This record gives sequence, structure tokens and C-alpha cells, in this order.
Amino acid sequence: MADREMIRIEIDGKSVSVEKDTTILEAAQSIDIYIPALCNSELVEPYGACRLCIVKVDDGRKTKLVTSCNYPVRKPIRVYTSSEMVLRNRKITLEMMLSRWPNVQVIKDLSKNAGIKKPRYQHPAVDLNPNACILCGLCMRICEQGIWENIINFTTRGAVPAGRMSYGSDQPHCIGCGACAEICPTGAITMVDDPNQPNDAEMIRKAGMRITKEMIKYDEEQCDMRGVGTAHLVEIMDAYDLLPVMNYRFGKHEETPKISSDIFRKYFTKGKPDGCWLGCTMACAKAIENFELKTGPYKGERVLVDGPEYETVGGSSNMGIFDPYFVAEYNFYCDTYGLDTISFSTGTSFVMECYEAGVLDKEKTGGLEIPFGAKDAALELLHQIGRGEGFGLIAGKGIRYMKKYFVENFGADPGFVFDIGMEAKGMEYSEYVTKESLAQQGGYGIALKGAQHDEAWLIFMDMVNKQIPTFEDKAEALHYFPMWRTWFSLCGLCKLPWNDVEPADNAETDEPAKVPAHVQGYCEFFEGVTGKPQTMDSLIRMSEKVYNFQRVFNLKMGFGKREHDAIPYRSAGPVTVEEYESRQDRYDTQLREDVGIDPSGMSSEEKVALTRKYREAQYEHLLDAVYKRRGWTNNGVPTIAKLTELGIDFPDVIELVTKHGG
Amino acid sequence: MITVNGIKLDWYEGKTVRDVIQEMNYLFPLLIARINGKLIPRNKYDSTEIPDKATVDIIHLMSGG
Repeated sequence: MADREMIRIEIDGKSVSVEKDTTILEAAQSIDIYIPALCNSELVEPYGACRLCIVKVDDGRKTKLVTSCNYPVRKPIRVYTSSEMVLRNRKITLEMMLSRWPNVQVIKDLSKNAGIKKPRYQHPAVDLNPNACILCGLCMRICEQGIWENIINFTTRGAVPAGRMSYGSDQPHCIGCGACAEICPTGAITMVDDPNQPNDAEMIRKAGMRITKEMIKYDEEQCDMRGVGTAHLVEIMDAYDLLPVMNYRFGKHEETPKISSDIFRKYFTKGKPDGCWLGCTMACAKAIENFELKTGPYKGERVLVDGPEYETVGGSSNMGIFDPYFVAEYNFYCDTYGLDTISFSTGTSFVMECYEAGVLDKEKTGGLEIPFGAKDAALELLHQIGRGEGFGLIAGKGIRYMKKYFVENFGADPGFVFDIGMEAKGMEYSEYVTKESLAQQGGYGIALKGAQHDEAWLIFMDMVNKQIPTFEDKAEALHYFPMWRTWFSLCGLCKLPWNDVEPADNAETDEPAKVPAHVQGYCEFFEGVTGKPQTMDSLIRMSEKVYNFQRVFNLKMGFGKREHDAIPYRSAGPVTVEEYESRQDRYDTQLREDVGIDPSGMSSEEKVALTRKYREAQYEHLLDAVYKRRGWTNNGVPTIAKLTELGIDFPDVIELVTKHGG
Repeated sequence: MITVNGIKLDWYEGKTVRDVIQEMNYLFPLLIARINGKLIPRNKYDSTEIPDKATVDIIHLMSGG
């Protein structure tokens, strides 16, 4: 956002400097000069319908009455908001309104301020309803402009139109967001349907409306979630060397622009909200309509592709494939077969690297020639997985199975396949390169469900901002954020409205990464549903109980100890000489500055080994710090003291953790 | 010389917050800029000049799944 041209104007004798194209009404509000207005809101485009905001403008050549809500400042002017001519005209307008809607409070108040006791006119269609629709059009404008829907409009003609759903019926496309009711100045629109009977529906709506307002005002310049969804991250991750390329060997690629969000923006259905649930105004789901499939059982048919989102696109770069049509096709078939795009793409990236390294060949894959970039082979493998046939029977069981299978049946070097097979606790990694963020390595490795970033996404805090330099800092982040994100899961809520749009004043808060205003909003959601007031700490406490209980469950199922938090080395550093040399400056600098070894004269193989020794030790230190912060033993088992403190010291739990040294 | 997120960068007269963001290739939209601890509003990135020897923090928030 470039700085805008500033223009100095005078309003009622007060001087103010405003950005070019600021409206007179906005300029007046910025210096606390009140101008009445009924049809205006910062959430919609100015309308100029109610005519109450008229002011007199003197541009040096002539004076005229204008509506201040839609008059942009483009040159120095003098503005008079309460001249005799202004007040006389405003009064006439208000008298006409009062004659028609004599009991509407906002009109009564404005009339009283204008000195009107009784209007001089009699309106033929007088409406005595105190909550009458006054035809300001705010509801239909916020629906169309703010929510991208078109549910409400002026209905009926003649003297008694009103803002209603068409034909007086319920519209199935209404998402029930409540924006029209919130913006209505007279209470003509109210939300009446509370099927879940929450404790305080109004509290929930107000908290939701705060997010909706931010989406309307800021989304386009922030993450553009409604425009392109999480796909906006593709080019960003590439810029920060974080987009997985060829099984996480690299973090960027010259062909990334072919699969950037600008490409998918062209294909996404436009101008319609696409939320996962009714009422969601972030609506970041996105879809490609009328996509013609080129392979598989539906070849030649035109279908709707639900996506792609970031992870699906990042999975494609991870397979070395930079073709948006491939992304859409594999997205569709993963959904159709009930496969996860992350598991498929990360698993196939592993297959491709094994193919290139000679672990696999055409004979072992049943004829599939599948190096990086082989999109036809990748789709054929996807169909084989879907059908449960051929090499798909092996690949479909995931990386953990493949590693063991390749070692036992194909003579693969176990060290190599375990280093490059990107899974933890049996789950495939999602699509971020973690090598330069120790905290994120922990975010994947320690996560209870396996290698997923949805417990903690700390790469920017750690690698870019350098906000969490010590092990203790990282451990604190790996306490707070997993607990916070667990809370969303406890409540069945989406995490995206928490930090994919931010309040205007978020930067001024003590901990902007936590988006404190939104955390407060979630406290209100919870209280609105249950009637129980909450604080940030109490939400975290809820999660801590469940999180520790889940860790105990993992322990019971054979996954809850330090050994299970191990990560494949590719997650921590360069496995191959090629990887090391591709970022040689970075790794040499670390050896020199952090390890205290002069790498000059060393072979790349030696440097790979030294880097590995250092980074693996760092990860173990991180585990020590995180376990300590969470109240776990050095083996990653919750202590009895911690379980007691959390009130989950049930006899069978105590028996289990005691057996494992808790 | 100035320090940006712990990295040393060359300084020149008139170098702005926007110049630093471009030099660092910081494409992410949710940024918070501070010069020697003082918050710089997003609409002032083009016009705010950075003094020599300043410590600049360009804090990236989080987003995505």
C-alpha cells in the first residue's frame, strides 16, 4: 500500500489534511465534526440516498450543496456542515421522513436534534411501526458488497416497498451471517432462528460480526482469503524458501509462478462466497467449476473441483509438478477416492525420490516410470491407489509402510529411506520446509497426531522474525500454540478466522502473534453458547487437560514417548550433498558461526555430516525444553504431578504413566 | 548499517521501511514494522525513513491452515 497524496481542507473553520479521495464525511469524522447520516456505513460503498449528510462546499469558484458521504476530496475546499442553507434542506428531508415513519427512534432522535416538533407534511403511506424499514438500503448493500450474496432487495413497487428476501420467501442461499440485522438502523431485521438455543445468541452474533467487519474492510489487502483462499501462500512460501520442492529437498522453484494464486484466481468461481459452513464470512473454500477431467473413471466429464488450497498446491511442487491442470485433477480424484491430498502428494514425492535414487525402478513399480515431475505417472499411481491395484497397493499404505517394504523387499538402504521418508508417527508431513526452523521441526515431531502443522506453525516467528531464539522461548511457543489450536478442535471450530484476518489495531497489542482481540472473541463465543465466562488462560487450561490426556492415550497405544517424537532428518537438515550445496552459504555460515568450525577446505560430505551432528543435537535439546515446559518427564511422559494438577489423575491413567516412569 | 530481524543490511540516506521490505523480499502481507521499538503504521512504510544504525523488526504474523 503506497502512501497516498494528502490534501488539506477546511471544515467549519477547522483545518484537516486527508488522503486524496477521502470523503467529506470521513474527513469530518476524523476531526470529530458530526454530520447526520442514515444510509452510510464504513462497511459499504456510499449511497447518497438519505440526503441527511448534505453539506455546503466552496471550491473557490462556486458553492453548492453535496452529499458528504460520496463526495471525494480531490482539491482544497471549504466545507460548511451547519450553514443556514444546509440546516434548512436537512430539516425538510427529516420532516418528510418523520411524516412517514413517526415512531422510528433514530428518525425521532434526528428530528428532535433538528428542532422538529411536528412535521408539516402528511405522508399517504405513513407507517407507525417503530421498527419500520426506512429504505436506507444498508442491508442489501452489505449483503451484496460485504458478503458477496444477494439475498435481500427492495421488493414491491409504489409507495410501500421494503427491503426483504425476494417474493417474501426464505432464500436457501442466505448463510445466516446476521450482517443485515447488525447494520439495520431501525431494527427492521432481526435474527429469530436460534435452533441450538445458546445461552446468549446476541453475544455470539456480536463476536462473529467483528470478524465479518474485518473481512469486509481488510481481507482484500491482507490475505485475500475470499479471493483465493489459502492458495495465496504458494508464492509467499516460495519467496521465503519454504515451499516444498522435490520431496522437501528445496524450498523454491523457478516454475512456481505457474501454480501461484494468480493462476488459480482465474479458474476459481468468482463473486460468490464459498464457506464450509453456513454463516462463515471468511468463505475461503474456493472451487473450480466445469473442469474437464483428462484421466480416470470420469475422464472427459466436466466436474466441480473443491479447491485447491495451499497444501494441495504445495504437494504438487513437492512432486516437482508445476501444472495447474494437474493440481485440479489430483485434487478432484483425491477427494473422489477419499484420499488426503497431503498424504498422497508427500507419499508420491517419496516414491519419486526413491525412483530417482534407484531404490525403485519400472519393474518394482509395475511399469510406472515415476521420477519428479512425472504427472501422468503420478495420476496413474493415484488411480491405482483408488482401485487398490498394482504399486498403488503399496504406496497407498503410506510412507511408514513403504520404508519398511522397500528395505525388506527391494534392498533399500534403511538410512536413506528413513532420512527422506517424510512422516512422523505414521502420518505424512504437510507442505512446509522446516529445515531452518528448529521450533517448527518440533511443531511437526511432537504433534500428537503426527507430522501436521496445525498444532503450531512457528516458522515465521522462529526463522524470519527471530522472536524465539532460546530453547526456552521455543518451548514456550510449543506450549501455548498447540494448546490454543487444540482448543479449536475441542470446540469443532475452524482456526482460520483467528489469524487469517487481523484487527486494525492488532499491531499495537503486546502479543500480536496471538491476535488477542480474536482470542477475546472466542471467549465470548464460548460464553455465548455455554453461559460460562472465559479468559485466554481458561481456554488454554481446557486444552491442556485434553492434550495431556491425548498424550496418555498415545502412550497406551504405543506412540507416546520420546522415541515417537523423532523426525526424519530431512526435516532438520540437508540429507544429500546436492541439498547442502544448493544452500551452501547458509550451511557453511552455520558451521562457522554456531558450531565454531571453519568449513573451508572440507568436502561437502564432511560438512553434511557435521551439520547433521549439530542439528540432531539441537532437536534433542528442544525436546528436553518442551517436555520440561509441559510438565513431562525427559522421556516425554506426563508426570503424575502434572496429571494431578490438571485433574486427570484417574487410577488407570496413573497406573499407565507409572509403568512408563511418569 | 542497520539490523533487520537480526540481519545486517547496508544503510543509505532516505532508506524507507518499504525499501527494506523489498530488499528482504518480504511478500507476506501481515507485517508489523518497528524502528528501534517504535511501531510504524502500514500506511507510512513508503514515507518513513530509517536512521543509520537502527534496529528494525519486521514481524511476520501467521496465517494458513
